[in-house]
Amino acid sequence: MKFLCVPCDSPMKLQTVGPPERGSLSVVYACPECGYEMAMLTNAYETQMVQSLGVRIGPESDGEAQTSGSRCPFNAMIPAAEEPRPGLTGEPMSVRWTAAAEARLANIPEFVRPMARTGIERFARERGALEVDDQILDAAREFFGM
Amino acid sequence: MKKYHDIAGDGGSRVLEQVAGQRARIADGLAGVRHLVAVGSGKGGVGKSTLTLHLAGALRARGLRIAILDADFNGPSQARMAGVQEAVFVPPPSPHAFGVADGSRKVALPRTRNGIAVFSMGSLIPESGALEFESAASGESHTWRATREFALLGEILESFEWGALDLLIFDLPPGAERTVQYADYLGPRTSFLLVTIPSEVARGVVARSVAALSKGPNRVLGYVENMSGYYCRDCDAIKPLFDSDRGASLPLTPAGLGISCLGTVPFDPELARHCDSGIPLADVPVTPVGRALDRVAQQLLDSLESNHGVPR
Repeated sequence: MKFLCVPCDSPMKLQTVGPPERGSLSVVYACPECGYEMAMLTNAYETQMVQSLGVRIGPESDGEAQTSGSRCPFNAMIPAAEEPRPGLTGEPMSVRWTAAAEARLANIPEFVRPMARTGIERFARERGALEVDDQILDAAREFFGM
Repeated sequence: MKKYHDIAGDGGSRVLEQVAGQRARIADGLAGVRHLVAVGSGKGGVGKSTLTLHLAGALRARGLRIAILDADFNGPSQARMAGVQEAVFVPPPSPHAFGVADGSRKVALPRTRNGIAVFSMGSLIPESGALEFESAASGESHTWRATREFALLGEILESFEWGALDLLIFDLPPGAERTVQYADYLGPRTSFLLVTIPSEVARGVVARSVAALSKGPNRVLGYVENMSGYYCRDCDAIKPLFDSDRGASLPLTPAGLGISCLGTVPFDPELARHCDSGIPLADVPVTPVGRALDRVAQQLLDSLESNHGVPR
């Protein structure tokens, strides 16, 4: 979608994107010639259609704070809760993550992370480790044939 | 007054640019894959997923590098059948460690015991759960859900490490319209293998898929007639399963589909039981069904090689 300032016959430029509010985005465009501003206010269907493409909307120079949604469609996928494993009873031992291991976890798609975290912690506990670090992650990769 | 195509760019929303960028990253990620094959039908319940896994097993037994992408996000079955239901996705090494290249930041895929890489939503969502998305238009999913699922497919193709493969096999969901949507999304590099059973109803739906695919550039390698009789282990013989197996005439003969038949595969209750348990075909004793699958795998390879690089 493009916007044209009719009096100037000039393409308008996206200025800001307000965060979604009850499914609506406020997208402000301005004419670089005369400075006239206009806002496109989307309905929920329009917002959802664009978000379904897995893209972000915002001025090129703006950071994530200006996004209308994530670039990554995984972000909109509701993570599935892990089912209790057969034979696993009681509270599992808590497992810490080192900063380096957390940084590695952040590299994988967001929707995979909860399952990855749970599985790796289980892998660590089964080996008597109470901390997930680079060594545990490397051992897990090798164990699972990656 | 200027018209749409008189204006370069889109004023800063970069929507098209982002979509094109993702397509380019997907193409890069699949550059090492020799053949992309989508196993579809249009009809549900004809054994697409089972056939996909068993063909992958037969191809793997030939030493080929194989991956399966279970594209049926809402009804994934490959995770259970391939034995990767409890797979753990382990983060790749830090890009800063040991001089690791950026490309290796992609997530490695779980593998079956016989070395087939498998992505299936069934590894991520328990069978008691359903794939759900947050939405600004909740209660109106018919307006956006398909688009969202294709964006998800794109992100899976972009995020996981496919590497060097001889075949990447897509196990498609049912629906003739979905088959065509996947053809459009995956592009002309992807060839299609269709699956039917000896039933007039199933062949009729597959014929619709053939008709729809014929309008596009994707190659249709042929079809497989699955459940073509059943294998009785007690008698060590193939027995009739449908009326057509007993000689009843069907208006839609195999030739009536207008595409090559790559083979027929009888139903094997024992094999179905193994699928439920995630036991690979390689671990199953050789039977007439295994031999039939092996012949189909060879036909598939021959068809791919004979047409390689030449869209239909």
